[in-house]
Amino acid sequence: VKPLTVIVCIKDVPDPEGPASAFEIHGDSKKVVPAGIPPVINPFDENALEVGVRLKELHGGKIIALNVSGKAKAAVLKKALSVGADELILLEDQSFEDLSGRSVAAVLSRAIEKIGDYDLILTGRQAADWDSGQVGLLVGQMLQVPAISLGRSVSVENGKVTVEKLRPVGYEVVTAFTPALVTVSSEAGELRLPTIKAMQDARKKPTTVWRAEDIGIDTADLHKRNIRSLSSPPPRSRNCLFAGGSSPAERGENLVIRLREDRII
Amino acid sequence: MSQTPERILVIAELQGGRLPPLTLELFTLGKRLADEGAGLLCACVAGYGLADGLEEIACYADEVYGLDHPLLAGFQVDLSGAATKALASSLSPGVILMGHTYDGLELAAQLSGAMGSDLVTDSVHVEQDPVTHRFLCTKEVYGGKAVAIFETETTPAVVTVRPKSHEPAKPRGSKGRVIPFDCVLDPSIARTESVGIMPEQTVDLDTAEVVVAGGRGASSQEAIDRLHDLVAAFGNHFMKAELGVSRPLVDAGLFPRSRQIGQTGERVAPQLYVAVAISGATQHVTGILGAGKIVAINRNKDAPIFDVADYGVVGPLEEVIPAIIGKLEETT
Repeated sequence: VKPLTVIVCIKDVPDPEGPASAFEIHGDSKKVVPAGIPPVINPFDENALEVGVRLKELHGGKIIALNVSGKAKAAVLKKALSVGADELILLEDQSFEDLSGRSVAAVLSRAIEKIGDYDLILTGRQAADWDSGQVGLLVGQMLQVPAISLGRSVSVENGKVTVEKLRPVGYEVVTAFTPALVTVSSEAGELRLPTIKAMQDARKKPTTVWRAEDIGIDTADLHKRNIRSLSSPPPRSRNCLFAGGSSPAERGENLVIRLREDRII
Repeated sequence: MSQTPERILVIAELQGGRLPPLTLELFTLGKRLADEGAGLLCACVAGYGLADGLEEIACYADEVYGLDHPLLAGFQVDLSGAATKALASSLSPGVILMGHTYDGLELAAQLSGAMGSDLVTDSVHVEQDPVTHRFLCTKEVYGGKAVAIFETETTPAVVTVRPKSHEPAKPRGSKGRVIPFDCVLDPSIARTESVGIMPEQTVDLDTAEVVVAGGRGASSQEAIDRLHDLVAAFGNHFMKAELGVSRPLVDAGLFPRSRQIGQTGERVAPQLYVAVAISGATQHVTGILGAGKIVAINRNKDAPIFDVADYGVVGPLEEVIPAIIGKLEETT
């Protein structure tokens, strides 16, 4: 079995499971500022990382985690090292702050070209902050490698990747020669928890920082995310009428009575 | 700006020779943009043996272009991307609109990369700034916790449009022109190969009058059985009741994705939505906002789902659901 080199692109986001009230919308700076919730690795990127770790278990080889930022949240991203990534490369440069999707993809592509030898690039299907879902596919396009979206399982054999790709109903089996890129969907499964030993080992694993000049990218070519305005969504709350009753069963019955009174049923 | 009218290019789809609702929705948006900017609404469709389909599309657009080629009979992103790019390069549209579907997003990213165009995905509203002529695209971000208006800076801009965000267009009185476009494709540019489609039973959440949906707290087999029972009980009172789930149950492999409701699943608008053991994360709630009435059943009285519900029952589903079913079965 030939060992694989798998590159996984990860970013941090405010924990999307946090309550809506923890996402403060700053219209002036056009930013969403998390209040009292921690940053996490984007859950869809965690799915991609899990796929990478499974492939490494089967084939051996190494996983390189890549992140683009103006200022890296290294402590959060290092979780990747404790679940199976072998190296974390931070593409960190002030000029990388608030980039458009296309520019993020350009930075990632230049870094991947610098890494050079790899079999597979994995990304999440989208990031839980801007919900754009374009960076992974754009990286594939820029590197001119096969790009397969919404993988729910990924296997590699004899220089070919086989992906079960989501369809609106069912799935499609798609193959391509490596090197290739796959965007991974949540159906692929949740990222495993790190073991204590793995967390200790992770401290010895390398974290590398590459600035714009290290990957030979001209910062004048980079574009910022262009947002005209950012606002709260229209109110969604309804007035909830709680069914009364001293037991859950009684409350359930009272719900039906009320639905009948209101001519819902 | 130049004197020639700006083109708005809609990527249409044909399914079994018919235009799906999402394509008709794109025509509504495209026509408004064309009218407001005194532009031309153009449509293109890729496939093989398109003749009748093109005539149908001509009822909705000023100009219709068929990308008719044996290699386009199925969707392969490199081939569809190359054909669409060739057409777009010759038409120079101000914006290219397509549906925010799995294939649509792939094609959009391909075009954006190949043409160096800004891409905004999953837009619910698009307008053109009358002064700068740039396109302003409204979309939900942060799982629906905020709404952003993105401004595109390139010509063309590429935009994917969320299903059901516009009314479907009606056919016009006069037909547009079907204009031949010579589509030349090299099969070797296809970098991926489809080796099979695995179908699943179709789930049509769209036409259900009632959707009963289970969440993370309903993952045991017993709970799932109870959900099915509840669907059946509501099914006796409505034309059609269907079972949906929130993402955790799909990710756990308990249900197919076609039953998933929420940001990365389906958006539903039944008369009645019954959320069972669903906490109410924004990513889920964004998929049910169109529901007529929302019932929430949850053991946690502080669950955020109650904030968006019309009716709430606090209690464990194991006790609440049998009581609801018993009462539903009583004749009134």
